[in-house]
Amino acid sequence: MTDTRRPGLGHACMAVLRRDLTLAWRQRGDMVLPVLYALIVTSLFPFALGPEEALLRRIAAGAVLVTVLLAMLLALDAMFRSDIEDGSLEQLMLAPQPLALMLGMKILAHWLATAVPLIVIAPLLAGMLHLPPPVIPVLLLALLLATPLLSLLGGVLVALTAGTRRSGMLLALMLLPLCVPVVIFAAGALAAAQEGLPWIAPIAWLGAALVLAVVLAPLACAAALRIALDS
Amino acid sequence: MSGSLQSFFAMGGYAAYVWPAYGVFFTVLLIDWLAPQFRRRRLLRDLRGRMARQNARNERTGRKSTAST
Amino acid sequence: MANWIPLWLHKLSSPPVFYRFAGTLRPWAIALALVLGIVAMYGGLVLAPPDYQQGNDYRIIFIHVPSAWMSLFIYAVMGIAAFIALVWRIKLAEVVAMASAPIGAAFTFITLVTGSLWGARMWGTWWTWDARLTSELVLLFLYLGVIALYHSFEDRRQGARTAGFLALIGVVNVPIVHFSVNWWNTLHQGSTIRLLGPSTIASSMLWPLLTMMAATKFYYFASLFGRVRADLLALESGKDWVRQIAENEVRR
Repeated sequence: MTDTRRPGLGHACMAVLRRDLTLAWRQRGDMVLPVLYALIVTSLFPFALGPEEALLRRIAAGAVLVTVLLAMLLALDAMFRSDIEDGSLEQLMLAPQPLALMLGMKILAHWLATAVPLIVIAPLLAGMLHLPPPVIPVLLLALLLATPLLSLLGGVLVALTAGTRRSGMLLALMLLPLCVPVVIFAAGALAAAQEGLPWIAPIAWLGAALVLAVVLAPLACAAALRIALDS
Repeated sequence: MSGSLQSFFAMGGYAAYVWPAYGVFFTVLLIDWLAPQFRRRRLLRDLRGRMARQNARNERTGRKSTAST
Repeated sequence: MANWIPLWLHKLSSPPVFYRFAGTLRPWAIALALVLGIVAMYGGLVLAPPDYQQGNDYRIIFIHVPSAWMSLFIYAVMGIAAFIALVWRIKLAEVVAMASAPIGAAFTFITLVTGSLWGARMWGTWWTWDARLTSELVLLFLYLGVIALYHSFEDRRQGARTAGFLALIGVVNVPIVHFSVNWWNTLHQGSTIRLLGPSTIASSMLWPLLTMMAATKFYYFASLFGRVRADLLALESGKDWVRQIAENEVRR
């Protein structure tokens, strides 16, 4: 974990991660909100579409995916909000450690705090909409790859809106074009799995995109933050 | 002559598709063209107002300077 | 500033010089755009014969195809200007990038509306989730995102740089969306509607199309110059040259 030439880099990463997770844990109520939101949205689908099992089974995978995405969007706004307000983000920008790495840790902490609870209840959401049980592992795999991708893309956009007052609707407008491919490939894998076709290709695409995003998104996030907070 | 003009406007029965398309094209571009004109006029009017107020204030206080801002 | 940039280009990037330069060129650009547009419309609506397959319906392409082309061209201009603005911090490049966004959004909107009017007759549906159409829609959202981000900042210059960064992200995004929607379509439907067949286009239809493309390009430059002039006045409203313009305008 610790690099011998630059001692403290691993330490700094762990410190940022531990700090953000502690803060998230102290605000447990905020962590529960996206989960609650996902439950409410999912339970509205049967009311809107009727309780026929065949229809619900047909839309289950896509509905769960979109619900998780919207729930993540709900929490995205808060990713750097408190850090900007109390000035600790500026501290991070001045720190000798590379900003991109620190921001990557912050995004990881945000993902652990918001997306992981959503992934945990995803089987429940899928069950509410009668998704066939054999598809559920594929759903979890797709979510495991798609949600960090969304967190990383969202991190860049949140950094861009860092200097503005209100950003809720703006974030949704900016994220929509970026998340189209993610939704397509995740839903494609689920549709293929549901029809008993090989689903590994879209999952592999998602994985490739995730690897790229893990490398590039923190760098873009750091650049965006420097532009947005530069005054 | 009027017959050929009529058939031109009828567009072989597709008038309901062709003319709205051209209408949208010209309406949107006209709005796009006029918006900055109006904005420029408003900006200059505001600026003139600001300059006039500034001059009036300078005369009242007796200062001859044309301080910026 | 780097040495390889010619001196006149450097001079041109100063706001008062560009303001005057754009002011002289703008009437010529809009006049050319109008003349070429009228010629193209006469050729396209009157001279070109009805298509043997589509009747008179195809006449929408004389505005649809140039608009679609402009929507991508303007995005490219915006991306290049945003890149220059971020790397060299040239004020004029920021203004050009942000002035391009509304014009590009207008052309993208025209493309979507005329395309769906054409599609309503040709395929019997207003909208289909084809790769081209979906990419165009995503392009519209990108434009709107850039415009909204730009306006959410108090400081215009900072907003321009931030929105420029978003525009650059979009440059990467559009091809990815196009590819993924293509993949998605082949998964869901056996055969998609072919938008542009292999049919060769007759020269009587080709020249109005090319003329219209030139007209829209000149229109873009005219509109861009108008918007850049207004933006420069707003951005430099404290400077002497803007005050002079304000005073001269009232005397006229």
